[in-house]
Amino acid sequence: MDQTAIAFRGVTYRAQGRVLLGPLDLEVRRGETLVLLGRSGSGKTTALKLINRLLEESEGTVLVDGRPTREWDVISLRRHIGYVIQETGLFPHYTVEKNVALVPRLLGRPETEIQERVAGMLRLVDLEPQEFRGRYPHQLSGGQRQRVGVARALAGDPEILLMDETFGALDPLSRAELQQQFMEIQKQVRKTTVLVTHDVGEALLLANRIALLEGGKLLGIYSRAEFLNSSDRTVAAYRACGNLQFPGDDRHA
Amino acid sequence: MLEFIRLHRVEIATLTLEHIWLVAISMAIAVLIGVPAGILLTRKPKLREPVIGGANVIETIPSLALFGFLLPAPWLGARADRIAITALALYALLPIIRNTYVGITGVDPGVREAARGMGLTSRQMLWQVELPLSMSVILAGIRTATVLCIGIATIAAAIGAGGLGEFIFRGLAMVNDSLILAGAIPAAILALAVDLGLGWLEARLRPPSA
Repeated sequence: MDQTAIAFRGVTYRAQGRVLLGPLDLEVRRGETLVLLGRSGSGKTTALKLINRLLEESEGTVLVDGRPTREWDVISLRRHIGYVIQETGLFPHYTVEKNVALVPRLLGRPETEIQERVAGMLRLVDLEPQEFRGRYPHQLSGGQRQRVGVARALAGDPEILLMDETFGALDPLSRAELQQQFMEIQKQVRKTTVLVTHDVGEALLLANRIALLEGGKLLGIYSRAEFLNSSDRTVAAYRACGNLQFPGDDRHA
Repeated sequence: MLEFIRLHRVEIATLTLEHIWLVAISMAIAVLIGVPAGILLTRKPKLREPVIGGANVIETIPSLALFGFLLPAPWLGARADRIAITALALYALLPIIRNTYVGITGVDPGVREAARGMGLTSRQMLWQVELPLSMSVILAGIRTATVLCIGIATIAAAIGAGGLGEFIFRGLAMVNDSLILAGAIPAAILALAVDLGLGWLEARLRPPSA
């Protein structure tokens, strides 16, 4: 299989005549976690939404599994891609079970398989199925809601996972817990993941590679070591404002 | 007064039922038109101004005049109850269309975006997300419209469509307070009962906020 899961080829996104992103050339390798790092307005969320066609490029081509997204049936494309956003977007009128089962049900999987899948996904994100499946989102803490959001995004077994500031709204302790857990999950499922964040610490912790965006332009793509040693002034500025201590983290060694 | 009720109990019951029938049919028609129209406005925002504007204009026509305007209409004008039902349904449209539109557009953008991102079709989005989450707001519109129509329906008696307005107009003509009250009190009780009942349902359907 082609090692490139997602590719941006000369992609520009314009809104009301203003260029918000691009031209962007970027490839995401199969199974890697690529972090789009940048400040507000850098175009990172725009880039993310171009992948599942919540936005459509003005110029250029976005390819998913080698096919331009415009050629995909948009519904199949989105069901092929898991999506987690900051506010989680859990359906408040659905129980945890129904939220997680949503995509498998849309895909028409048999009910017994769905039930097993829901239980499996909840265990994966460290929520005891018996205790949590009947609860509603408002009966969960922020961290638990995010876990359900991740479980829901993975439930349809998508090839690709998109995460938009997923851990951004959590308190520091829950955030650190969830980041660690995400790394555990990623070890098990190895999904091609594109994660948007403005938090340099999070980027360095979770990323295989970091794509740094500024004012809609790609400044560079860095491995963790490259990012830590780069002499680029913007990268240095990010390093200076981040808390870059990761005791016990040997993932990137 | 009690003596009056005892003597007229059959007539009170008959006219109350007639009143309920007029309002129920009108509301059914208004819901069948108003809710889909409200949904359509969320899909075609350009229609919002003309449709809400049109419904607003209808709302400003005095009810007696609206009944009068409909009298010469073909088919409709042939029977008083048809005119009454049409006029009441027209009055009920605005709150229903407006609340449907407001309810659906008020759905949490995060929920909407997640739903789109997970690959819900427009129809699935409507039935699984938008309608359940806006049901209490839509019902609030239906509740307002129903209470409004119970009141306006009393005027339908002026064109001979029956209902509790019969007592009121007869009472006015005969300067008889008991007769006026015999129409006004059941109409008020009806309006309060509907208001309480639909209010209770509305609270039950309100989605929990995350």
